[in-house]
Amino acid sequence: MPSPSLSTRDLTIRFGGHVAVNAVTCDFHPGETTVIVGPNGAGKTTYFNLISGQMAASAGSVEKSGEDITRLSPSARAGRGIGRAFQLTNLFPQLSVLENIRLAVQARAGAGWSLLRPALSRHDLIESAEHFLAAAQLTDRAAMPAASLPHGDQRKLEVALLMAMEPDIYMFDEPTAGMSLDQAPAVLGLIAKIKSDPTKTVLLVEHKMDVVRALADRIIVLHNGELLADGAPGEVMQSQIVRDVYLGTATEETA
Amino acid sequence: MKPTYGTIAVKSAMLVIAALLLFAPFLFQDIRALEVAARICIFIVLVASYDLLIGYTGIVSFAHTMFFGFGAYGSAIALKQMGPGWESVALGTLAGVALSLIVATAIGLISLRVKAIFFAMITLAAASVVLVLASQLSQITGGEDGITYRTPDLFKTATKLAVDEDGKVLRWFGVKLNGKLAAYYFVFVTSLVLFLVMLRITVSPLGTVLKAIRENEARAEAIGYRVVAYRTFVFCLSAVVASLAGSVYAVWLKYTGPDTALSFAIMIDILLMVVIGGMGTMWGAVIGASLMVMAQYYLRDLMGAASEATAALPLLPELLAPDRWLFWLGIIFILLVYFFPRGIAGTLMARGQRA
Repeated sequence: MPSPSLSTRDLTIRFGGHVAVNAVTCDFHPGETTVIVGPNGAGKTTYFNLISGQMAASAGSVEKSGEDITRLSPSARAGRGIGRAFQLTNLFPQLSVLENIRLAVQARAGAGWSLLRPALSRHDLIESAEHFLAAAQLTDRAAMPAASLPHGDQRKLEVALLMAMEPDIYMFDEPTAGMSLDQAPAVLGLIAKIKSDPTKTVLLVEHKMDVVRALADRIIVLHNGELLADGAPGEVMQSQIVRDVYLGTATEETA
Repeated sequence: MKPTYGTIAVKSAMLVIAALLLFAPFLFQDIRALEVAARICIFIVLVASYDLLIGYTGIVSFAHTMFFGFGAYGSAIALKQMGPGWESVALGTLAGVALSLIVATAIGLISLRVKAIFFAMITLAAASVVLVLASQLSQITGGEDGITYRTPDLFKTATKLAVDEDGKVLRWFGVKLNGKLAAYYFVFVTSLVLFLVMLRITVSPLGTVLKAIRENEARAEAIGYRVVAYRTFVFCLSAVVASLAGSVYAVWLKYTGPDTALSFAIMIDILLMVVIGGMGTMWGAVIGASLMVMAQYYLRDLMGAASEATAALPLLPELLAPDRWLFWLGIIFILLVYFFPRGIAGTLMARGQRA
């Protein structure tokens, strides 16, 4: 096994008396797509927030390629290659679609402090942003404010922002939530492409069983903030404990 | 993208205002008009630098006149203490900029992490302290009376920039080429340069980051921007520009006091200008500052004339009496906000987009 690109050690967060994520220890490796499943309120998104830095851990640690990043800000973690897309669309609403993407591109390129050249003359940034726009099939929306996009396109832009960060660790939080059936394949295709790169680590929170089956190399199950099961998809889905807490209803629906 | 009618209208207004300011000494040959033109130049810079904070980045500060005052008092004290030389202007300006940078960095690092409302309160507190200090340290600042001083000889009204064969000051199109003219173009050129630098910054990659912080601070942080660092930077930048504008205004006025450089009345003027013109667009600063300064200087005259013209009618002359100019300014302000909710420039440009 190669050394993990991302690890959490006894990662815990408490809100008052409530333990939302409880001592989760887990390693993630390059070239591996891990799907995190669990019922609502299991702590999946909170676990993501602890990894990408939106929330501060009460105990335990997060390591990126062996470096302890538990105390770092979200921007510092992004700079170390941890990229995150959000469950609820989280864009720059009044800025154009192209500007949204360019922001991610220029953050990656370290051009955020460039203040004397007009952005439109930075062809490197613009071309790179247009490349990611095309990949997300949003080219014809480039000039529209993000807020005016239909929901499905906003979800695509959300994913495209993550793509444009070109991180080592891709974290998707229900990337196809609320998308129509004809739009979801575009986003899933993007994720499949990243998955094919053996240097990238993918973490995915997802409910839809067909998506889980298509993408997962490994499944971990969270329940009440605890790591309940961890293993190959077939193995985890068959285990009795998982069926009891979560998959019982889900498998019936998709069967 | 195809320019819209609203954008064309705003840009044409920019050209007209720029041309009027450029040729102001030749177009309006009286001393009061030149005062107005110089004040418009200075306030365009002051309002634009404030818009970098409130309109572009979404930071609400009430300390903008404090930085303006640092610059103005810096120049004024140096000119008073060291005499009317260029080295006094340079040293005073630098001192103002340095003080602004130190105070802005301190306020920024201490408090830009906290919620917007607390930050606004902290800036208000800092500005109040400085206002009290300026009036108490009267042996340095002149207290409530302010400071009068002489400026470099080039700007004396008696200075002849060019003479004819009789040794009299040369005239161009009837305008004396004297020190007053030099002083006006000193104000105009420095204001233009400062404005263009800010304009350049707003269209740079950094300008987009500022807007991103305004739109969605958490996401800006999540894609890798250190929001606190950017906020502190833009707070310092706007403080430095305000300070420079203050220094230039002090040289122009040859007087600096709380009413011209430090009072909260100026802060309110800046807020009104930025709201009237439109936040988040540099053009808004130009429109807001021009209209507001014009109204402050000419609304009374206009109303005096209107009052006399309607003298025969009942009630109207009373309503239009020049003393009621603030009342009418208030009404105009309310109407502007009602019909141009995003400011004149902002609303016009947005309206064009839909069409």
